[in-house]
Amino acid sequence: MSQTLNLRGLIEKRGASRVIDGHITGCAASRDNQRFAFTTAEGDVIVAHRGDLTDAASWPTYAVHDGSALTIAPDTDPHGFLTGGDDGRLCRIDMHGEIEELGKTRRWVEHVISYVDPKNAYIAASSGKQVELRDATGRTVLKTLEHPSSVTGIVFDGKGKRIAASHYNGTSMWYTQSKSDSVRSLEWKGSHIGIAIHPQGEALITAMQDNDLHGWRLSDGHNIRMSGYPTKVRSMSFSSNGKWLATSGADVVVMWPFFGGGPMGKPPTELPGAGGALCTSVAFHPQQEVVAAGFADGTVLLIETPTQRVLPVSLGGNGPVSALAYSADGCMLGFGTEEGLIGLVDLAAA
Amino acid sequence: MSDAPLPADQQNALVPVTVLTGFLGAGKTTLLNHILTAEHGRKYAVVINEYGELGVDNDLVVDADEEVFEMNNGCICCTVRGDLIRILGGLMKRRGKFDGIIIETTGLADPAPVAQTFFADEDVRAKTRLDAVVTVVDALNIQQTLKESPEAHQQIAFADVMILNKTDLVDEAKLKEVEDTLRTINAFAPIHRARKSDVKLTDVLDRGGFDLQRVLEHMPDFLENPAHHHEEDLSSVSLTVKTPLDAGKFQMWISALLQEKGADILRTKGILNFEGQPDRFAFQAVHMMADGNNIGPWKDDEPRESRLVFIGRNLNRPQLRRGLESCAVA
Repeated sequence: MSQTLNLRGLIEKRGASRVIDGHITGCAASRDNQRFAFTTAEGDVIVAHRGDLTDAASWPTYAVHDGSALTIAPDTDPHGFLTGGDDGRLCRIDMHGEIEELGKTRRWVEHVISYVDPKNAYIAASSGKQVELRDATGRTVLKTLEHPSSVTGIVFDGKGKRIAASHYNGTSMWYTQSKSDSVRSLEWKGSHIGIAIHPQGEALITAMQDNDLHGWRLSDGHNIRMSGYPTKVRSMSFSSNGKWLATSGADVVVMWPFFGGGPMGKPPTELPGAGGALCTSVAFHPQQEVVAAGFADGTVLLIETPTQRVLPVSLGGNGPVSALAYSADGCMLGFGTEEGLIGLVDLAAA
Repeated sequence: MSDAPLPADQQNALVPVTVLTGFLGAGKTTLLNHILTAEHGRKYAVVINEYGELGVDNDLVVDADEEVFEMNNGCICCTVRGDLIRILGGLMKRRGKFDGIIIETTGLADPAPVAQTFFADEDVRAKTRLDAVVTVVDALNIQQTLKESPEAHQQIAFADVMILNKTDLVDEAKLKEVEDTLRTINAFAPIHRARKSDVKLTDVLDRGGFDLQRVLEHMPDFLENPAHHHEEDLSSVSLTVKTPLDAGKFQMWISALLQEKGADILRTKGILNFEGQPDRFAFQAVHMMADGNNIGPWKDDEPRESRLVFIGRNLNRPQLRRGLESCAVA
């Protein structure tokens, strides 16, 4: 099944890649930054250990879901991962590769996210119109949040106090700790297909079916509209300082300013692209003003946003980049493509 | 609203999607199971609705929610199936597992949002093509159903193929009468008679542009003198122009027409002869959403003429004819 690609860029000296069977649907690093995992449309999870980062053949594969694995997030514990699938199962895969089924619904589990701080930890998973908020172990459902239509994205705010879900005709925000189930509905007509929240809680942004972004300033609910994309925006990522929102959906990386009154009435910054290929995935570095971007031709770049300097991570890949993520320490960057290429690079200073 | 046409080879790489509609109890699920169990060596992914009363035996079955969403593009009739966008996107990630996709709708569903999904969503368009809307009709009950339900009219108007089912329950005279009724709504879709949805698979699968062409080739002349009917009823109009058409003029005329009357015009289909083009151009629209592509050169023995059909309400035949004729090259 293996196929060799002649990849160029950082991945040659500081990383490794492999082509596996199946469209790559997601990737994530564990909270201890020691493992990096990829999910596939065949239901598999491939886990790379940092110690074996450059030995792609040694990364083990676990058959976790029947049908596609749709989503992956770091577990609340330092070592493992959480995945959801078409089979309606929410699973944990621990540091030993043991798989635990945390939940099973009749519907697909499309999104799973987790939040950890020294006092609180949560896991949330969406399935159809419902979002289940679970405790740190994932074994207890704290509350089930009902939405008017299928949930298309979920996100915790930066402090774990609120969780927001996107769906048809808007978003719903819920308090994680509140005993009551009061919801703040932020409405905007149309189909919202993805969600991101400003790291300091200033705004909630959704991607829309109609090739643009919508947003709400959370202080007063003021509507924000960001348009001009030739395609749907599938991927959004805020810089850690909250100054920029990087987005896919155009043939360059489009970044909206969230300072100096922006993004209202401000044009976005267009970072370099990959020679006309559509940008399909973006991920901001967890601390620095550097954004990773994946493109429809398989190219993965690092772009330093203040200088717009470009560092190629992987050139000569195959298929649109469909998964892209940093580890929380910013030292590992992983990506996957629709054609089953998975790659991982070590960005730590040598 | 139509984008640049896809080249023919790219069109062929798209996964064909068959939509099964029909009123409650007409025999949709029986037809589905008939398709799935037949010896054709093909694998189908099946999208069923959650209220399906019969089980479906297939490896790849997905439950649908029938979530109908309005698009934000300003046209009121532009609705899509949000759940289908998600489901088809998911299925296309597992492209190697099947040869085609079959979608079964609930009996009460209006087929428009399903069909429009194939025009409106860029990802669905990039990877799949709507092969045919197959409408299963219960020969015994359809006339009563048509009196009671506007959805039944829509399902017949949207059909690319009609399966007249349960023909063993009525006599020949009644069958003729039912066929005439169906024809007044949709004069173009072939009608295949069946007993327990036992149709030839070639009649319902892989119809594509070929079907459109064949239907237009054999377009019955009686359409030129349609029987009188009430204005609010659905009917069909067919037009032929022998002079080659100016592609630009046609585009302008049809866009303006569909923009203005798209709510009343359910479907538009045609094979067009554009001036200076070696290939036949297949045009189709669902309400206001249009699409088209070249489908290969004209054959030596076929007349190079443009044929266009409309199915809808309040169709003004002379006006439509003048409009199409105005697109002819001077």
